[in-house]
Amino acid sequence: MKNRLNWKNIYQNPSFPSFLILIAIIILNASLQHNFFTYRTFKSNLLTFTPLILTSIAQGLVILVGCVDLSLGATVSLITVLMASLMGDSLLSIFIVVLLGSGLAILMSFVNGFLISYFGPPPLLTTYATSVLWFGIALFFMPTPGGYIPKSFSKMYRSDLFPNFPVVLLFLIGAFFILFFISRTRFYKHIYAVGGNEDAAYANGVNVFLTKIKVFLLSGVFIALASICVVAQTATGDARCGLSFSLNSVAASIIGGLSFSGGKGSIIGPIMGGLILGLLINVLYFANITSFYQEFMKGIIIIFSLAIGAIPKYLKTRSL
Amino acid sequence: MSFILEARNLKKSFDGVVALSDASFTLNQGEICGLVGANGSGKTTFARIISGLIKPDAGQLYLYGSQINLKSHLEAEKLAISMVHQNLSLVPEMTVWENINLGREIITPLGILNKEEALIRAEAAIQELKVNISLYDKVSQLAPSDQQLLEIVKALSRNPKILILDEPTASLGFKQVEILFEKLIQLKKDQVSVIFISHRIWEITRICDRLVAFRNGKTVGEVDFQQQPREERLIIPLITGKKENEDEKGIHEKRPYRNFDTHQVILEVDSLSKRDKLHNISFKIREGEVIGLGGLNGQGQEEILFILSGYLRKTSGKIKINNQEIIIKNPSQAIERGIFLVPGDRQKEGLFLNHNVFTNLVYPQVAQKKQKFILPLKELRQTVNTTIQKISLVPPDPRKLVSHLSGGNQQKVVIGKWLSLSPRILLLNDPTKGVDIETRKNLYKIIADLSNQGVSVLLYASDNEELIANCDRVLIVFEGQIVEEICGDRICEENLIASSLRVQ
Repeated sequence: MKNRLNWKNIYQNPSFPSFLILIAIIILNASLQHNFFTYRTFKSNLLTFTPLILTSIAQGLVILVGCVDLSLGATVSLITVLMASLMGDSLLSIFIVVLLGSGLAILMSFVNGFLISYFGPPPLLTTYATSVLWFGIALFFMPTPGGYIPKSFSKMYRSDLFPNFPVVLLFLIGAFFILFFISRTRFYKHIYAVGGNEDAAYANGVNVFLTKIKVFLLSGVFIALASICVVAQTATGDARCGLSFSLNSVAASIIGGLSFSGGKGSIIGPIMGGLILGLLINVLYFANITSFYQEFMKGIIIIFSLAIGAIPKYLKTRSL
Repeated sequence: MSFILEARNLKKSFDGVVALSDASFTLNQGEICGLVGANGSGKTTFARIISGLIKPDAGQLYLYGSQINLKSHLEAEKLAISMVHQNLSLVPEMTVWENINLGREIITPLGILNKEEALIRAEAAIQELKVNISLYDKVSQLAPSDQQLLEIVKALSRNPKILILDEPTASLGFKQVEILFEKLIQLKKDQVSVIFISHRIWEITRICDRLVAFRNGKTVGEVDFQQQPREERLIIPLITGKKENEDEKGIHEKRPYRNFDTHQVILEVDSLSKRDKLHNISFKIREGEVIGLGGLNGQGQEEILFILSGYLRKTSGKIKINNQEIIIKNPSQAIERGIFLVPGDRQKEGLFLNHNVFTNLVYPQVAQKKQKFILPLKELRQTVNTTIQKISLVPPDPRKLVSHLSGGNQQKVVIGKWLSLSPRILLLNDPTKGVDIETRKNLYKIIADLSNQGVSVLLYASDNEELIANCDRVLIVFEGQIVEEICGDRICEENLIASSLRVQ
């Protein structure tokens, strides 16, 4: 029996290119930003990146099972609108509204999962349709950004639990803990089986329908966490605030080495992908690139990262 | 004596195509029962019904004498029915041990996977068949034969009472087959019942206690080796059946022998190889010659056609046209050199179903590099009309949508689209699949006409009668090699089947 970690084959790991990119971009960022390795920068980066990382995990899970969720961003928006409309000053009200928002996020994700696995339309279109729906509802309740988020709530989010330990880190640690637990269950194997070969999974007695539903429910949990972060960070409800997450999370997943057809790659990939996208904006800012070119450069670098991820596949087809 | 499994009058059709019209079958405890039959005779459909993957349209299944109604594969597995799938039920991106445990993972009370137990189970399972693979290898990295063994290992590790093996030996080597047979004999001693599907008759006669033959979706007979000798000549008539239909006999008449030795060699293939698929394929086609590729399904015939038409790339070997070596990297290069493929799946690869006949027939010309920027529509319409006459399309209307044509007429369009480009070599990939007799006649006439005009034809057909009716020479392909060449008057059903099955 061979050992599990085979260092010779490490370059074949689908997450390997994104790991290299991540290292490169950290070095680049640190060389441009002299105070990169200070606690202050660490915390502010964490505050900025956490929603993207959480949505990337949510998206990554859905992509692993062979679907895609384009409504993820609209869900985040709608949850922020809901929370900003209902939240009061008391601790109890904050608690209840957060719970309510999380529940709704999970429910909305369930609706996607149910529509896709029960009726079988292409996930891309289904979630596009629901995204338009969620966005419409959010706009109906809050045409312009606003609402009320108690100062105490966002202050709590930005504070330190202990010295040198920001509250926001709890979200990531919580997410890692959930993933760690899930990755050791049979459900996790079924995700890969369904994403990798649905027919084979069925022939092995895997409940394909239920697996997909469960994935969307789990994805909903991460969307809920992301929404809480966004609302605490911005302290407003905004029907448009989440829209960029939909495609950014897809990009993060693919940069992280997931295969768009599902069943391939590790859930660590989207986390790294999210970090890469976040750090990228930092780098562009500190490299004094005017905001006009930032989007342009971002596009170039995303294409570049995707291309690096595609190299092993390209080499493989050539040798056929 | 009661049967462990009994099927009565099973019927199944897919989208109106009958796959199984009347299958009845019995299985005793602790016996190995072989299923034989030509391609498309319903063996696999039958096996999939027994293992709960598909539901029959009609008929009953009895297990230990009581009727069962399998709702899902899971249910069949609970009843200890396991199946080795022909097209493998492995998840390529998962490791060996994950695949073996898939669908019945061992978990601790907390819901956490018990990886140690899973590894022990997987290790024990692969030791059963002495497979030399690592538990941590991904399935996609394994050789085809190892994947097949893993598929068998997985089914065995579920401790079945009834084991269905659908062509398990197709990609196995000689030694691996021996190990499998040893295992099957051991299972028989343990009172496990085995259904063994194979095209290799010698395997059936060696390992099986009994065999049931399928033809055209029906169970047509059985041979019990306890009473009858283990001889191949008893089995082959069951598979082929007697030719009853006089009309059909008429069109499958052997064409008179033609000698091509003096004709110019158009295409020469020299030791063509493709990894795992083809080994040292060499042959020559002369001008106007019709050459058949025979043998069992999936022995590499399609790969030969695909390489010549630019869909696949060869690993080594040479392709020469008119004595000049050429390189074919993609279909458009093959078309430029006058090599045209009539694909097997016409609806997917050969036609634009939602477009009309005119558009379908005109695409190959439009795609040509020397075509003018502004299309000469008048000219094109004329050539299309002559093509329609040549292929005698019914109805002869260029504006008709292809999806509204019958299967046979669709096939005519697929061939017709190349005619206006004056082909030199036509590659046909099983062109009469699902085509009626009248259209077959027409197709054979087109092939004969082309051949008389000096077009060389390479024809792969899963139907031996088609090879007999059309070919001047037949190359029998077996496991990626040309094992025999049959020419002239020796081309007959018996010879073709005997050489396909490697019976001496």
